[in-house]
Amino acid sequence: MQQFIFGLANGSIYALMALAIGMVFSTTSIINFCHASVIMLAAMTSYWSMAYFHLPYAAAILIAVVINVAMNMAIYKTCVEKLGALSTNIGWIVTLFGASIIIDNAARMYFGTEPQAYPYLFNGRIVHILGANIMLHEIMMIVISLVVGLAYQLLIQKTRFGRAVRAVSYRHDTARLMGIKSDVTVLFCFGLAGVVAAISGALIAPVTFASYNMMSSIGLKGFAAALIGGLGNTQGAFIGGISLGLIEALIGSYIPASYKDAISFFVMIIVIIFLPGGILGAKFFTKGDSGKEKI
Amino acid sequence: MRNSSLKATPAKRKYSTLFTGAWSLLLLAVMILPHAAGNYYIRFFALLFVYVILATGYNIAAGYCGMTTFSAAALYGAGAYASAIAITRYGLPFGVGVLCGILMSCLISLVVSIPAIKVKGDYLALVSIGVLEIVQQIMVGWQGATGGSVGFNIKKWQIFGLPLSLAGKYYAILAVMMLCLLFQRNLVKSRWGRDFMAMRDNEITAGGLGINYPLYRVYGFLFSAALSGLAGAMYASFIGYLSPDSFGFSFTLFVLLMVVVGGSGTLSGPVIGAAIATVLPEFFNASPDLKQIVYGLLLVVLTQVLPGGVVGTIKKRFRAIDDNSFVNADSRKDEFDFGDYKVVSTSETQDILTIGGLTKCYGGLTAVNALDMAIKRGTVHSLIGPNGAGKTTTVNMITGIERPTEGRVAFNGRDITGSRMWDLMPRGVSRTYQHVRLFNGMSVIDNVVVGARLSYSHSLVGALFRSGKMRREERESYEAAMDYLRVIGLGEKLNDAPGNLSSGQQKLLELARALCMKPEMLVLDEPCAGLTETETAQFSDLIAKIRKAGISILLIEHHMSLVMEISDYITVLDYGKKIAEGRPDEVAANPVVRKAYLGVDDEVC
Repeated sequence: MQQFIFGLANGSIYALMALAIGMVFSTTSIINFCHASVIMLAAMTSYWSMAYFHLPYAAAILIAVVINVAMNMAIYKTCVEKLGALSTNIGWIVTLFGASIIIDNAARMYFGTEPQAYPYLFNGRIVHILGANIMLHEIMMIVISLVVGLAYQLLIQKTRFGRAVRAVSYRHDTARLMGIKSDVTVLFCFGLAGVVAAISGALIAPVTFASYNMMSSIGLKGFAAALIGGLGNTQGAFIGGISLGLIEALIGSYIPASYKDAISFFVMIIVIIFLPGGILGAKFFTKGDSGKEKI
Repeated sequence: MRNSSLKATPAKRKYSTLFTGAWSLLLLAVMILPHAAGNYYIRFFALLFVYVILATGYNIAAGYCGMTTFSAAALYGAGAYASAIAITRYGLPFGVGVLCGILMSCLISLVVSIPAIKVKGDYLALVSIGVLEIVQQIMVGWQGATGGSVGFNIKKWQIFGLPLSLAGKYYAILAVMMLCLLFQRNLVKSRWGRDFMAMRDNEITAGGLGINYPLYRVYGFLFSAALSGLAGAMYASFIGYLSPDSFGFSFTLFVLLMVVVGGSGTLSGPVIGAAIATVLPEFFNASPDLKQIVYGLLLVVLTQVLPGGVVGTIKKRFRAIDDNSFVNADSRKDEFDFGDYKVVSTSETQDILTIGGLTKCYGGLTAVNALDMAIKRGTVHSLIGPNGAGKTTTVNMITGIERPTEGRVAFNGRDITGSRMWDLMPRGVSRTYQHVRLFNGMSVIDNVVVGARLSYSHSLVGALFRSGKMRREERESYEAAMDYLRVIGLGEKLNDAPGNLSSGQQKLLELARALCMKPEMLVLDEPCAGLTETETAQFSDLIAKIRKAGISILLIEHHMSLVMEISDYITVLDYGKKIAEGRPDEVAANPVVRKAYLGVDDEVC
């Protein structure tokens, strides 16, 4: 039970990361390789706001959100926008990695290398469910991720902005002809991904401790989750994230600890080979391939 | 090597002297370095040479094949560890150890590249990161073999039992580096290099040229991995101590930086890039964080400001130096010479292509519905119909881009239903595309020559050693390509980028490429869309000539006057169904066609 909840909690963090990666992917069809660094940035800024400026938790998170939104928009402006057609120019892979190195090392220079204890939600209170000791924080991880996921899904399905996102994700130029400001929509998606990154930062930091390299092993698993579920798809992000978290928690106890991180990459590679579109991209779930390039 | 009949342009001669001079000076400098400089510099340069080998390997995959991956450190590390273990634990000689390193690296590259059969781009980057992490965990975790995080000490570098001095090591690495650079040059300046670049620029067209691009990705990655493994093995023996930390993600980024700075997809890019990326951080030794930040900044800025890297930017200025030595500056002929065409049979009664009950459904929509059609050998057969009638879909099914839902396609009496496009080309089908698909990273002449790839009979080894046969075949295909270019009026633009041509010229260039494949049947999808009146007239003449040479043509076109003039037979499609077929005058007189095609009972053109 404890393992199960633990896997579920980790899985929801992966899902949140996959969700934010999907937000960016849906409008630009690029994978934001810088996402993990932005999560780290949120954790670090909120930690330092609390520790040095003695701000309350909520205010610290708010600051992190604001900084993250600004940072993500800056990343779009500096690393992505000028590259032009992103499907043909894959320079974004390089620039986004470059940005991620800059953020990581700047954080290392300014915040130091020492991992810092980050406060749990509810002060780390433990509850007993079915004979297992479960931290309330873990349950909140699951709940908050689900709420964020649902909120995003509502935003996409029911609002004007959501319609714009869906239009832009299909074709930038056509959306622009329909009076949608494609660039602004993309910028917004980056900003929104920044918000989600801030939330995931606050949720994960108590577990990993806040440090410049807190995302070194988790960061890539967000991508793995996004791919396993199917890129740019809310349900897919959650299916991918949670199944990855559970697989890790359940298999993790049977193999040497030093290989534990390898599981998720192994699963990811297998999924890419056999289901290139992810679980939800499998033929069973899709109806035709209307988005394919015309020849 | 250059034949006397092949004259180089004056500009080329001037610059090539200049560049050859510069490179020779550089070579001389590195040759005498061990006698002139202290041990620190010898070590520094030996390491730089190792990085050049590594960057050269990475450049083949990333620059020439267009596969940006992040597993460079893993391939390099695997090569280093495998050779170190073979040499130290099993006491094998150095050469065998290097071989082990190369093999191990190739093995790991398969793990990265086999997913690349199905996916590309971003997915490949992710797979490679995954592999990098897995390899690193194995390096740390498998303590029995690798010594874990403590590190691994390697036996002294010996060749035939003789220990090498520092200068000896330096020269050994220098020699290997020169070989690797030669390998890269010969690979790139051959059919293989062109195939890789074609795949990078436009994989569908590459497939249409007969390049099995999923397989070629694996090949490209293998070449790249072999060099990375070799670099790793050299590094291991040179340094004498390995630690898993040296092969982490930051090292991968260093490799990436070398190629991005120098210029990915250029021959000397890895050399220049490795030099810059190795020297630059020396200024930041005091602060490793700042060093990393500078790396990051360079990656962000250079990718956007100098997309071609240092070398790519220089190359743009000196287009003339990239002249191909096989191109003959003197005009040989101004007319197509189809004398060397080998068309199997010219009997007009035989059908070259037969289609039976061909159907394609997209979900609920039936784009092509039970189409029956036969194309007689040596004729121009036009497929016409209103927009959305299913013409391009039909052609895509014939050329293997889409699989038919139902029905049969037979070419020369052989069933080719559902064949992949790269299987069709060798059988004699080539095509042009409705929306121009050229290889924009290659010069105009290379765009044509790449079509000649099937006429080659020399092997990969022949290409790498530039055998006499290889050079003869290369010259023949470049000369043929030059002829095609002259006929379409682009003889002067052979070294331009295809993107600089007008849309009409681009369409003609596509035709030249398709002809260079020497097909039995040519499929032209709206070749005259966007062409001017004169260009259309020119095109019409060309088609007549091609037909005279015995090549069958399947033509989709909207210019009715052109279609009526040059077609032998016309098939009319509407809503995916055949509504009429026959000689042009029969079709033109057909009331059903008039109604469907023109909407009114009016004269056709």
